[in-house]
Amino acid sequence: MKTVRTKNRIREGSPAVTAILYLLTILVCLVTVYPMYYVLILSISAPEYAAGMDVYLFPKGFSLDAYKMLVGDMEMWRAYANTILYTVATTALMLVTCVLVAYPLTYKRLMGRKYVNMFLLIPMYFSGGMIPAFLLITKLGLYGSPLSQIIPACFSIWNIILMKAFFSSIPEGLREAAKIDGGGVVQILTRVYLPVSKPILAVIAVYTIVGRWNSWFDALVYLPRTDWQPLQLFLRRILVENTRQVTEILNPEMAAEMVRKQLSGAQLKYAMIIFTSLPVLFTYPFFQKYFVKGVMLGSLKE
Amino acid sequence: MAKKKKRPTTPAVIRENIQLYLLMLPVFILIVIFCYGPMFGLVIAFQDYMPGSPFFGESVDWMGLRHFQRFIQGKYFGRLITNTLVLSGLNLLFGFTAPILFALLIDQVKRIRFKKLVQTASYMPYFISTVVVAGMVLSFIDKGGMVTRFLTLFGLPNQNWREQASAFPAIYTVTNVWKGFGFGSILYISAITSIDQSQYESARIDGANRGQQCWYITLPGIKNIIAINLIMAIGGILGTNSDLILLLYTPATYDVADVIGTYTYRLGIQGGQYSYTAAAGLFMSAIGFTLTYIANKVSNRMTGYGLW
Repeated sequence: MKTVRTKNRIREGSPAVTAILYLLTILVCLVTVYPMYYVLILSISAPEYAAGMDVYLFPKGFSLDAYKMLVGDMEMWRAYANTILYTVATTALMLVTCVLVAYPLTYKRLMGRKYVNMFLLIPMYFSGGMIPAFLLITKLGLYGSPLSQIIPACFSIWNIILMKAFFSSIPEGLREAAKIDGGGVVQILTRVYLPVSKPILAVIAVYTIVGRWNSWFDALVYLPRTDWQPLQLFLRRILVENTRQVTEILNPEMAAEMVRKQLSGAQLKYAMIIFTSLPVLFTYPFFQKYFVKGVMLGSLKE
Repeated sequence: MAKKKKRPTTPAVIRENIQLYLLMLPVFILIVIFCYGPMFGLVIAFQDYMPGSPFFGESVDWMGLRHFQRFIQGKYFGRLITNTLVLSGLNLLFGFTAPILFALLIDQVKRIRFKKLVQTASYMPYFISTVVVAGMVLSFIDKGGMVTRFLTLFGLPNQNWREQASAFPAIYTVTNVWKGFGFGSILYISAITSIDQSQYESARIDGANRGQQCWYITLPGIKNIIAINLIMAIGGILGTNSDLILLLYTPATYDVADVIGTYTYRLGIQGGQYSYTAAAGLFMSAIGFTLTYIANKVSNRMTGYGLW
């Protein structure tokens, strides 16, 4: 037998280990944030320093020339407007479609509820894949149309299931009471269910907004011409496809202006990254709680 | 078997049902078209489909399994499987463990303000679009880019790493981990906070150090979530993140970067070989589904949780 401990002192971690753990946390934090910070300070540095790319801690000099050039680029604004259009339309429709299916499923007396559930579950595990979806879009005449960015994306079975789970948590007594008061199916939805559903609507809206804002692949496949392309595809042409230089995308006067101001392509790219990520970067700390909530709701369903 | 007593189907109930179905109808139509439509469209994997021609009828050239055969015997099949397994394997090794390690680390941070700040920062990459992330990475690993310069400190050449096939798996994995670890940790962090704090107190009284507390209390407390996530990750091992690959790869790195999604995009969407790529996609998702199915079975047996 081991000797019995004489002192039953509560063991606290040693300060040295605590310090190391905190340092490690700060390091992780730096690794996460620094790339974006680097992009930011480079984009606002004076062009002569930015061209050398050796700006590491603080901006060297200060110049908003890169941004000034950006705001004159009509193609970017067009892409920005497209993205806003797609995001707003998809999100609004997403909320409607979720409610329309989730609400009837809360009725115990809905005939064939089992089959409806099956109908919803099958597409969660099987899909036709990229090619049949592409051919379908073509057949429907949506290829090249802005509607290809809205209609196929305006519903989500996953969101319907989240919504249904939330609706099911609303006591049925409420509905029965409203029914006795003479409320019809639609009135009960708008007067009883929707007013208490703001949290879940917010979660779904936030997920849809961010997803749509950042999506690009379906636009790459369905939108061949640049005039309807969203912001992310515009960015892809400039940031990723190295076949074209920034100067080729800009119109000739702007390209000349760029040379005159000694702006480097990299600096302009970085300014573009900051400029297009701003809406998300500024707002995500405020709606991150909805994201956390969404993860929780999703995990309950698993 | 005793029959459940059914409430009579009154006209009122029928009217209610009709109204409810009318509400659902628009979305049902969307689901039929956009979810079930492509599933039936998969018949083209067994034909020689030409754009504009019908899916059924006399004009259809039925090919049987010839496209599948060509895909499996083709010279790219081995490459696609290897790349998928390597990239997914790396992602499983690092992308799966990083959120857990981060959750354990952040649990040690007891200053609430600081903890919140670090968490918020860790989510940031998740909100940045894949295109922007890829753009940043490509510029950092370019000749003279930030990361390339940093690597020259260790004697590595100043070159455009995007064109180096050997570097691709690392670039892909680091980017994936960077983008996803914070968001992936949400579930673990919340599971850790719901562990009964008195367990830690009694463990400390018994003289357990931090490592022991972590090993004997925290990890067992989140082991179910880890198990489910792990099994699902194994099930989804064939579903690589082809979005990011499509942005990062170049013809110089196809050898190590090409996966089914990118292959389908190049040959199908860009090359117009619809039937062949549909067959290739169908084959891979059939394997993927089988894996998910097995993983789910295992999960159900081991943890009692599963997708269905």
